Amino acid sequence: MRRAVTPLLAVTVALVLADSAVVTLALPDILRELDATVGEVAWVLIAFNLLLGLCAVPTAWALTRTQPRVVGAIGIAVFAGSSAWCAWADSIEVLVVARCIQALGGAFALLGCLELLVAKQGERRGVATWVAAGVVGTATGPVAGGLLTQAISWQAIFVVQVPFAALAVPAALSVRAEPERAPDRHRPAVLPNLTLALLSAALTAALFLLVLLLVEGWRRDPATAALTVSVVPVAAVAAGPLARLLRAPHTVEVAAGCLLIAGGLVALAIPPSAHLGWTVAPQALVGLGLGMTVDRLTAHAMELRLPRVRHAGWTIGARHLGVVVGLAILTPVFTADLRDAEAPAEEAIASLVLDAPLTAQDKIAVAESLGRELSGQRGQVPDLHRAFEAVTVSPEDRPALRQLERDLDSQLERAATRAFRDSFLIGAGLALLALLTVLVPRRRREP
Amino acid sequence: MSTAARLLVLPVLAVTLVCGVLGVQLSHGGGDFEPLRPADPCVARDVTSQSDGIDGLTERLVLLGIDGAACRLEVSRERLTLDLAQGGERSDAEIQALHDGLLAAVQRMKKDGSLPKISDLLDEALDNADLNGFLEAAIRALPDSVVDAALKTDDVLSRAVEELDLRRVLADVNDQDALNAQMEAAIEKAVKDALVDRVRDLV
Repeated sequence: MRRAVTPLLAVTVALVLADSAVVTLALPDILRELDATVGEVAWVLIAFNLLLGLCAVPTAWALTRTQPRVVGAIGIAVFAGSSAWCAWADSIEVLVVARCIQALGGAFALLGCLELLVAKQGERRGVATWVAAGVVGTATGPVAGGLLTQAISWQAIFVVQVPFAALAVPAALSVRAEPERAPDRHRPAVLPNLTLALLSAALTAALFLLVLLLVEGWRRDPATAALTVSVVPVAAVAAGPLARLLRAPHTVEVAAGCLLIAGGLVALAIPPSAHLGWTVAPQALVGLGLGMTVDRLTAHAMELRLPRVRHAGWTIGARHLGVVVGLAILTPVFTADLRDAEAPAEEAIASLVLDAPLTAQDKIAVAESLGRELSGQRGQVPDLHRAFEAVTVSPEDRPALRQLERDLDSQLERAATRAFRDSFLIGAGLALLALLTVLVPRRRREP
Repeated sequence: MSTAARLLVLPVLAVTLVCGVLGVQLSHGGGDFEPLRPADPCVARDVTSQSDGIDGLTERLVLLGIDGAACRLEVSRERLTLDLAQGGERSDAEIQALHDGLLAAVQRMKKDGSLPKISDLLDEALDNADLNGFLEAAIRALPDSVVDAALKTDDVLSRAVEELDLRRVLADVNDQDALNAQMEAAIEKAVKDALVDRVRDLV
């Protein structure tokens, strides 16, 4: 059991932070199964991040006054129980409430685990493990969620968390750790936390919007989308050795990371086609940027500041409120852009049908079938295949009909890609704002 | 590694990677992956049809007519087509634009020589018409030169457009039988009027 304590605590940290974006790929399934609206289903993400962001600092205050192992174990147990409740939720309201409780338990689990890891491994290694587990969790959340949704169901995302968290409860209780009674000597590190918040908002564009573009816009299945976005965590892990090799100072590394994230988001805004390959290099840039910034900024915001857990709470608050700000800015922009994309997409479809090498009767049949299908799929990128299946043409006209279907699908992909462009560019703007906060000259500390 | 190198290598590498990725994306058409933009309906375009005979002629006429109407209404032909397909009450401006567009389409097809002679369409028209056998046989017996001298395609089509109640046509756009009945009635009236005027000219 002793050997398993550190991995179990690290996995708990990764699970809580993965939960920030783990349901992204499952949102379409949740929307359908729980008969929710797009606005309601967005709260599955927003509620968790908002609660975690708001509760982090008060939780840290509580941890300086009580036994970390008890508070940590209770937090992990609440997190496990509410994860199970999320899986059994039969309405969107219940799911959102369960996610709120999950975030509350998650806040105690997250900061409790920090204190327990420090008690187990010492200050330097304990903080490093906690930070690294958080980065891995953040980056791998959407991938894991997508694979589980495709392989089993969206409920599986929450079910698989329960045994890991349940095992972490006795692991937490087994660590002897005293509350950190250091006086409240240091103010929160404003600039690193602001940079973290802005980068988290920008990364929301990469992790949240990209999976939506892949699943809803380009109509890829969740597993394909999950494998595609796995480029981000792989690149994030690769960023560490690269940064160590080049031995750049902290500020330079963070600035380069912000630039890479901004560049990756701009590249995601302008793919030459809907081929998944075009998302790989932009995601690699985002992943490298993520690996160079989030852990460095988190460590920097906590470095030599006491009480440690309180400053860790500020970093968690900054990151998750940054995600909420990102969602609050980006969601209305891309939903409005998706609505605005309907008219050009309809006109492009009309143009291709009018000019298709089909007889007038076949064109009318296709138009009527498309009209029926499109009217039933308002508010989302439509699936045209059923409309084409309903049309019967002569054998010699079938190749032309198949070509028309491919051309129309391409138009829908083009319209969806265009609709996401502004949101990716806003994300890039947020990353550049983060870069500005890094470049702001620091005041020298008073001796 | 020197201090300067530690300060410069990572930013230079980051800028190079970003520029490289954006350069590759842009050189392969990144930024242009957008929905097809509707063409200017006021610019003449070639219109073809997969059908022959009367169906092909009707399709080309309608496509050119919609182009002309869209140009007059200052919308794309795609937007006009989608609006017309949705049904509902049509404005006077839309009806007038369609009427003028169809007449302009007839003139354009006449000008570019894409209008078939009436004799080329006669057999198909008689096959579809509900005439008594004697009259049908008599018309079929007429030499093509006589038919083409008596009836000009552009004249018949222009008269048919004038005869059509476009508001009713648009209301019945999803009812193929009603649409055919209106078209046949308009063409029959147009042929009769053309023949009467021809006889008057001869007299």
